[in-house]
Amino acid sequence: MATSIEAAVESLREIKSKEPPMWLVPKQELSQAVRAASKHLFSSLKPHSPKSPFDQLLIEGFDAEQIWQQIDLQSQPLLYTLRREVKKFEKNPEEISKLKEAIEGGKKKKVVEEKGTDDIDDDDDDDDDLDMDDDDDYDDDEEEEEKKERGREEESEREGEEMELEGEEKGGIEDKFLKIKELQEYLEEDEAKEYGLKKNKKTKTETKKKEEDTEEEEEGEDEEEEEEEDDDNDEAEEEEDELGLFDGDDEDDEDSLENARYEDFFGTKKNKGPKEKAKSRDRFEGDSGSDDEQDFDKRKDGLSTHEEELKKLQSKIEQMEKANLDPKVWTMRGEVTAAQRQKNSALEVDLDFEHNVRPAPVITEEVTASLEDLIKTRISEGLFDDVQKSRSLSSKAPRETKELDDNKSKKGLAEVYEEEFVQKTDPAAAPLSFSDELKKEASMLFKKLCLKLDALSHFHFTPKPVVEDMSIQTNVPALAMEEIAPMAVSDAAMLAPEEVFAGKGDIKEEAELTRSERKRRRANKKRKFKAEAAKRLAKKPRETTQVDSNEGDYSICYSSLHIITLGTNQFLSQTLHTICR
Amino acid sequence: MSAEAAATMEIETLPSDPKPASNSLPPKLKFEPLKAHEMSDGRVQFRKVSVPPHRYSPLKKYWMDIYTPIYEQMKIDIRMNLKARKVELKTRSDTPDISNLQKCADFVQAFMLGFDVVDAIALLRMDELYVESFEIKDVKTLRGEHLSRAIGRLSGKGGKTKFAIENATKTRIVIADTKIHILGSFANIKIARDSLCSLILGSPAGKVYSKLRQVSARLAERF
Repeated sequence: MATSIEAAVESLREIKSKEPPMWLVPKQELSQAVRAASKHLFSSLKPHSPKSPFDQLLIEGFDAEQIWQQIDLQSQPLLYTLRREVKKFEKNPEEISKLKEAIEGGKKKKVVEEKGTDDIDDDDDDDDDLDMDDDDDYDDDEEEEEKKERGREEESEREGEEMELEGEEKGGIEDKFLKIKELQEYLEEDEAKEYGLKKNKKTKTETKKKEEDTEEEEEGEDEEEEEEEDDDNDEAEEEEDELGLFDGDDEDDEDSLENARYEDFFGTKKNKGPKEKAKSRDRFEGDSGSDDEQDFDKRKDGLSTHEEELKKLQSKIEQMEKANLDPKVWTMRGEVTAAQRQKNSALEVDLDFEHNVRPAPVITEEVTASLEDLIKTRISEGLFDDVQKSRSLSSKAPRETKELDDNKSKKGLAEVYEEEFVQKTDPAAAPLSFSDELKKEASMLFKKLCLKLDALSHFHFTPKPVVEDMSIQTNVPALAMEEIAPMAVSDAAMLAPEEVFAGKGDIKEEAELTRSERKRRRANKKRKFKAEAAKRLAKKPRETTQVDSNEGDYSICYSSLHIITLGTNQFLSQTLHTICR
Repeated sequence: MSAEAAATMEIETLPSDPKPASNSLPPKLKFEPLKAHEMSDGRVQFRKVSVPPHRYSPLKKYWMDIYTPIYEQMKIDIRMNLKARKVELKTRSDTPDISNLQKCADFVQAFMLGFDVVDAIALLRMDELYVESFEIKDVKTLRGEHLSRAIGRLSGKGGKTKFAIENATKTRIVIADTKIHILGSFANIKIARDSLCSLILGSPAGKVYSKLRQVSARLAERF
């Protein structure tokens, strides 16, 4: 052992003596020396570190990584303890003196050396250690801390000191994350919920208690909670009145739970230390499983399952009552404007409201194709939905607007009044009014026009039967006619010979007659004249108009026919001739 | 006799004339209506209508048309007093009605005013026809060119407006310089007078036409 130790020391010295640049290049000798040295160190540190699984550092056939891991396994817990010790020594230098007495210079040196070497080796581990925190180590440290705390408390035994300590602790605890007053409020709330359970957990929390936060800031909320609980316990120890008050409120509901107090579990403050230590130790060994078991036992002792259920119900009821009293969530509040809710809170909620506008149609190829087909069919059919103008039906017949006659009236005033009178007395017998005559004339003209159009348009045209009207025909030679009249005049309108003269037998002129024949003619004439004279005298009172059909060569035309045939040129020329003659 | 009569006075009833002492009135005398001839104690009734110079030759022209209906149908004697330039009318013994004389006088008077015989004859045939005369200055005082223009407005182009009024209102109008004569029934005279007055006052012919149209339509509707 001594030789090995010496060898190790030698190797260490060697390593030390080497200059840094030598380390850059890997060399076999150096590595072997280092390995040996580390093995030695490992074995020397072994008694100080209780948790190391290895008795020796296994070097042969192991990789650098594997060796490193072994070292790490051992060194980490060691470091913790050492740090604690150092801090402790910082605070209480008396202990160093104690140690000094216990351990002699060599050991101290060793410790220092080891510490130093450890520091050298484990410089890189600091960060890792901070990050990787085992619960066990946690517990370990806490245990030892608490032990020391209790020890300190036992020594002082004063509220003031305790206060100071706790103040120190608090001073140490309180920082930007932790405010005692906030803790107080929170704890008073929580007590209502976890009153029964809290007592069970108190031991657990105590074991988890920690003095300093600075190292474990990265732990986060768990830490703080535990610390809060720790503080709570501290405060509970100090100010039992609060707890008592609180107990008073709940006493009505749960007797057994209410009466369970801290002292029942943990005893008084003074007795707390060893009890607590023992319990903590037990817990430490049993870890989480033991904790649960102990909790279960505690429950059985204090409360029955029914009472537990009742408690749960009660807590639920109180929770719900509290929720009812609080102001509602904005979604339950009815009309909420943007100012009354949080920013962007509407985005998180799935809102359902009516859209009054039809969503815009999505234009896809199918839609356009269908539209185009529709358009094509419509065009091919000619089915345009054009707006048809609706003709307003004239309900009333158009009033006959009486036209003002600008011309001099042909009728005398007497006749006008006569007509009026007749119309009043006997409407049927009234003579045609001016408008009626106009209508008649118009209808006649239209009939003529229609006749001409029919003649033009029909393939098999049958003319209407000719209504024979009397018309004047003059026995004018065609030559004369042609001179004056227009081209389209034929001599068919001339009188036929028998129309000129209808007679029988020999026709002799005056000059040709013999005397006896002349006398006979005269006698006939006289007889006729006498007969007619007698007739006239008889007819005179009757006042009939006579029509002489024997007068002259002309046929008589009636005044009405005059008007009808007035339009024809032929007739005009004929009348002219008659006038001339 | 008398004694017997006196003795039997109480019993006898007198068949002779009724006593005036009794209350029964004498029977009414029935008189025939007086003839024109017998009026004014049998004296003859006259009417004299003076002839203005501008109607002298038309009178000569239409004398027979005037004379015939008066003499034969109205049974009034008519003669022209050339010296006095008057037409004289006289009732005859067989004149049926005294109003005939007046009617004939009106008829002749109408002719003298300027109406045609054919129109004036209506006076003889109908009772309710009248002649109304007024002057332009009665409606509005117009002088010089305004007056001429008013007269022109009244007549219209070729007498159009005048004829339109005549035809619409069944009247006859004579515009003699500043004097206007209307022949017709009472209501019709009124309408014609209103139109003429509006024309004198200056309204355009179109406006008068439209009014006339309305009026004539209303008149026609009535019957």
